[in-house]
Amino acid sequence: MSSVETAKNSAWQQGTRDALPLLGGYIPVAISFGLIAVQSGFSAQETVLISTLIYAGASQFLFIAMVASGVPLWLVLVMTLLINARHLVYGPNIAPYLSNSRWWPLLMHGLTDQIFALAHTRLPQLAEKDRMGWYISAALIAWLSWILGTAVGAIAGAEITSRWPLLGEVMPFALPALFLVLLAPRFTSVQWTLTMLATIVAALVLKLMGMTNSAIPLAALCGVSLFYLMQAKLKAEGKAHG
Amino acid sequence: MDKSLWLLMLACALGTFLLRALPLIWMRRHLDRLSISNNSGAMPIWLTVLAPTMIAAMFGVSLVPAHPGLSSWLATLSGGLCTILVWRRTRSLGWPVCGGVAVYGVVVVLLRILA
Repeated sequence: MSSVETAKNSAWQQGTRDALPLLGGYIPVAISFGLIAVQSGFSAQETVLISTLIYAGASQFLFIAMVASGVPLWLVLVMTLLINARHLVYGPNIAPYLSNSRWWPLLMHGLTDQIFALAHTRLPQLAEKDRMGWYISAALIAWLSWILGTAVGAIAGAEITSRWPLLGEVMPFALPALFLVLLAPRFTSVQWTLTMLATIVAALVLKLMGMTNSAIPLAALCGVSLFYLMQAKLKAEGKAHG
Repeated sequence: MDKSLWLLMLACALGTFLLRALPLIWMRRHLDRLSISNNSGAMPIWLTVLAPTMIAAMFGVSLVPAHPGLSSWLATLSGGLCTILVWRRTRSLGWPVCGGVAVYGVVVVLLRILA
């Protein structure tokens, strides 16, 4: 095997290795999604197709819940896109590390929260020629595990719940655990910590008040507002002292 | 799913894909125009703040158990603490989630036995 081929393989293998830890988070959440979707009246094929095409964890749960509760379809679309609006910032953040290949925009289907977090760390460390191989490998592992997990949950969901009823109760905790891991590196300063805590508390309270659909955008807006208020205060203090 | 639901699902899928792909295309053009490799000055600040706050909001919403009660809140707290502890040790994504789910499950079972 030539050295070029070895390097290519090594980038693909590196992508696979980096993405393997994601399976622990993806598969339990995907199984619980498949299970919940089937319980909400979707067929196994429809559930797998939702995971394959939409491929965005939290918004898929919301999609299922809103459709099942008879919410107007336009609101389901708006809420799904609103939740996924956070993806707007991912592409621009990794753009400086990507070549001008026309395949990159298509590959963005695999740019989930976790793949973004991995890519943002790993891509700058890789040679430019290895980046696409690494990304395809990591994103493919994550995507396939999500689809496979969904299929297992959708097809064997009823059997899993009847044999191990506790699993249905315990597995959905993978979702808050996953978000917590994504948030943990953000607690880097007082400003960010207060912003994150205020957003989490606001979302939790709004959910407990029954505002399930509007809790996420409203809480996020609360957090952004608080961030800017603190920013303005810090600037004012800086001017007063400086 | 009826026809309207299929269309809704396809619209959600296309919309999500465009949310991921279009900003990349925009930023690549922007970088090409500026001929710079560091985009830190080119990103609007509100965009960089909105991304983590959206994830924080999703975390807050997902924290509420399906059947809120003392035992489920206690399990949530224990699972969350374990997730953080494992994350601090491993700095990985998968293991903290596995650990958090495992502890959540153990606490649920223990409280059920004790009740």
